[in-house]
Amino acid sequence: MITIILWILDRLKPLFEALGADYGQLRAIVQVKLTMDSRRSFVSLGRYGKQSGESNTNFIRILAIYAIIGGLISFAMLGIAPKENLFLPLTLQFSYIMALCAMTLISDFSSVILDSSDNQIILPRPVSSRTLWLARVVHITSYLFAITLSLTVVSIFILASRFGAASGLLFLLLSLLSAILMVFLTNIFYLVLMKFTSEEKLREVINYFQIVMAILFYGSYQVLPRLIGSERMLQEPLAHQSWHYLIPPMWMAGATESFIQPVFDQTHLIFLALALLTPFTGLWFMNRFLTTDFTQKISSIDQDGQTTPTPIATTSTNRQSWMEQLADWFTNDSLERAAFAFTWRITSRDRKFKLKTYPQLGFGLAYVIAISFQSGSFSSGSFFYLFALYFGGIYVMVAQYQLRVSDNYRASWVYGSAPIQEPGSILSGSLKAIIIKLLVPFYTLLSSYVLFRYGLDKISDVLLAFSNSLVMLLSAALLSTRSMPFSIEQDAMKQNNTARGLLISLVLALVGFSHYGLTRIPFGVWIALPFSIILCWYLLQQYKKTGWESVEMS
Amino acid sequence: MNPTPVIQLQNLQKSYGSSLVLKGINLSVSAGQVVGYIGPNGAGKSTTIKILMGMLPDYAGEATVLGMDVKTNALAIKRRVGYVPENAALYDTLTPMEYLQFIGQLYELDPAHIERKALDLLRLFQLSDHANARMTTFSKGMRQKVLLISGLLHNPDVIFLDEPLSGLDANAVVLVKEIIRQLANDGKTIFYSSHLMDVVEKISDRIIIINQGQVIADGTFAELQHQRPESLEQLFSQLTGNEGQTGVAEEFIHTLKN
Repeated sequence: MITIILWILDRLKPLFEALGADYGQLRAIVQVKLTMDSRRSFVSLGRYGKQSGESNTNFIRILAIYAIIGGLISFAMLGIAPKENLFLPLTLQFSYIMALCAMTLISDFSSVILDSSDNQIILPRPVSSRTLWLARVVHITSYLFAITLSLTVVSIFILASRFGAASGLLFLLLSLLSAILMVFLTNIFYLVLMKFTSEEKLREVINYFQIVMAILFYGSYQVLPRLIGSERMLQEPLAHQSWHYLIPPMWMAGATESFIQPVFDQTHLIFLALALLTPFTGLWFMNRFLTTDFTQKISSIDQDGQTTPTPIATTSTNRQSWMEQLADWFTNDSLERAAFAFTWRITSRDRKFKLKTYPQLGFGLAYVIAISFQSGSFSSGSFFYLFALYFGGIYVMVAQYQLRVSDNYRASWVYGSAPIQEPGSILSGSLKAIIIKLLVPFYTLLSSYVLFRYGLDKISDVLLAFSNSLVMLLSAALLSTRSMPFSIEQDAMKQNNTARGLLISLVLALVGFSHYGLTRIPFGVWIALPFSIILCWYLLQQYKKTGWESVEMS
Repeated sequence: MNPTPVIQLQNLQKSYGSSLVLKGINLSVSAGQVVGYIGPNGAGKSTTIKILMGMLPDYAGEATVLGMDVKTNALAIKRRVGYVPENAALYDTLTPMEYLQFIGQLYELDPAHIERKALDLLRLFQLSDHANARMTTFSKGMRQKVLLISGLLHNPDVIFLDEPLSGLDANAVVLVKEIIRQLANDGKTIFYSSHLMDVVEKISDRIIIINQGQVIADGTFAELQHQRPESLEQLFSQLTGNEGQTGVAEEFIHTLKN
């Protein structure tokens, strides 16, 4: 893969030189970054994929999953619709590509864009701001292109076979342009943000901003189809309105349509122009105005540690005692209590943890609420709220998964040097902290929404679903390789939660269906509840008994 | 000696947010000198070095390196300056050869040339056997050797060393000290920052002590000694206002016992 990317880069050499980069340095940086990525062990599929230290097999597996999902969607949308009505399906396709790119950028690659680990290695070298910035963009874009290609490969063939090779190629080009556009949109947001925030607060602000952005991007992907209309619209040609010019997926769709039909009226020409010109204008704009002090800003991110110490100790004494109270209630021994408090504090302060976890929780809520407003039998039936309750559970597992990961993973030597007999207490203590801190509030929100919308008599279902989610969470924790909290290195490419979430959702769906079966039996849910609670308690005890032999230490 | 100074600082000031880290540093260093740049933690040593490297352009005052203004000629300066940062920051999933090849390319050196040079330098540091092994398994001393090579690979005229001996074994320490001496004899300027006073005392032609963003002593060790005839270590704690460490140590032991 690296050789292919470098080969393509070599062909584009004049472009990079025209943009003001030093091509030799750019190539060296990209090559090294890709080599390092390929040597990190990808754990993208979490516990389900065996770690293969050497190769990108897991990334390729993710691409395969995307290709399958993308293929199914393409068949459904582009396979049969007559060519006059392709505008909306195409819009949805492009929104899907853009949403996925943006989500990947924000949740997985934000660390690449704002990487400050290069400060000591690359900044002292004679590398210009522009070269470093372009190298990072190329690095990210190469992954986005791979993702985009795997998503669109089926669509390209469908379009090529239905409307000729030219439209397939155009679709390919526009998909890649969509990816570029997303790189620039996220980059512009970051860089503008960096221009206007004080250097001290930068990371904190960016962190929360990323969380909000992630939710917004996801939300807009959910809302866009509803904004345009329901299925009715899919069967009719769309009357173009002026606000359509503001929606990037529509540019791409309009441009594709103009070639498929073919029509070249004013509307389509505007779409075509927007689709082709904006990504390049974005590139030019960024390169011209925003890169000059890019590395400066990046290097100043690390300096925030040098300013006056943040007054955490004084402000949080109240909260600490409150947290300690919780620790007293929910933990049994001092080791578990220590792990509980430790996890609680770190999860409130570790920016990367927050960045990886909170957007996922936001997605969960946004998704459930968005779907519940969808018209049709799905959302009003008794099935939906169960779906919502279990679906939300997926997102909490992300937190459990993130718990083991930290930038300060090297500090985990303390687990080895301290006289700890039963590491299980630490594992269960920190899992409890996650449950109390994230799962309970999240579930409270979710279930109050469900109770509010579907009636208070659903309380039994809410309780069973909660208990079942705990069971799921615990069994996931039991089945995975157990590692001490915050003891594993975080890599830029390590997590691609989308693919992992898909696998978990399958299992959750099974449990959810069984729950649905129980609702058909009178008092079935109430009878199942104690069993679920006992199972949950039993699993927790098992988890607490974890010995050193089953803990993986790095 | 060269009449034009290699490093020149005039009333250099730098602040992070509201706190002033450097409060007007004045310095002039000529070629072929080994300058020991010492001070307590947080005195502003690394900040000075970063400014001289062109990594922190938003400072006040004048700073020139090799006759070029740091603000306007950062890239040109970086090409002729070598930097060995502390705490062994390198891409450790790479092998030493790959890493050095990468760094060399950033200086736009010819790959074949880098290869030959890097292999030789690794051999001299007794790392030949590890030239193609990933650095994740390397000890701190081995990483430090690679780091030293990567900072010197392009044969710079000015070299900034931040704690360059950390993790090295006794033989390597002797070797690196000798390398520093011979580099200086070759007319290179070495800016040496460390907390190990006995090393600084022996290796430096000139010692600069800063405290709280200000230069509080500047001269050869003999000159500094002339004022107060003690070891550099004692001189240092006296000047930086940290005497009576014996009492603190006693209190520390006492607290441990409780």
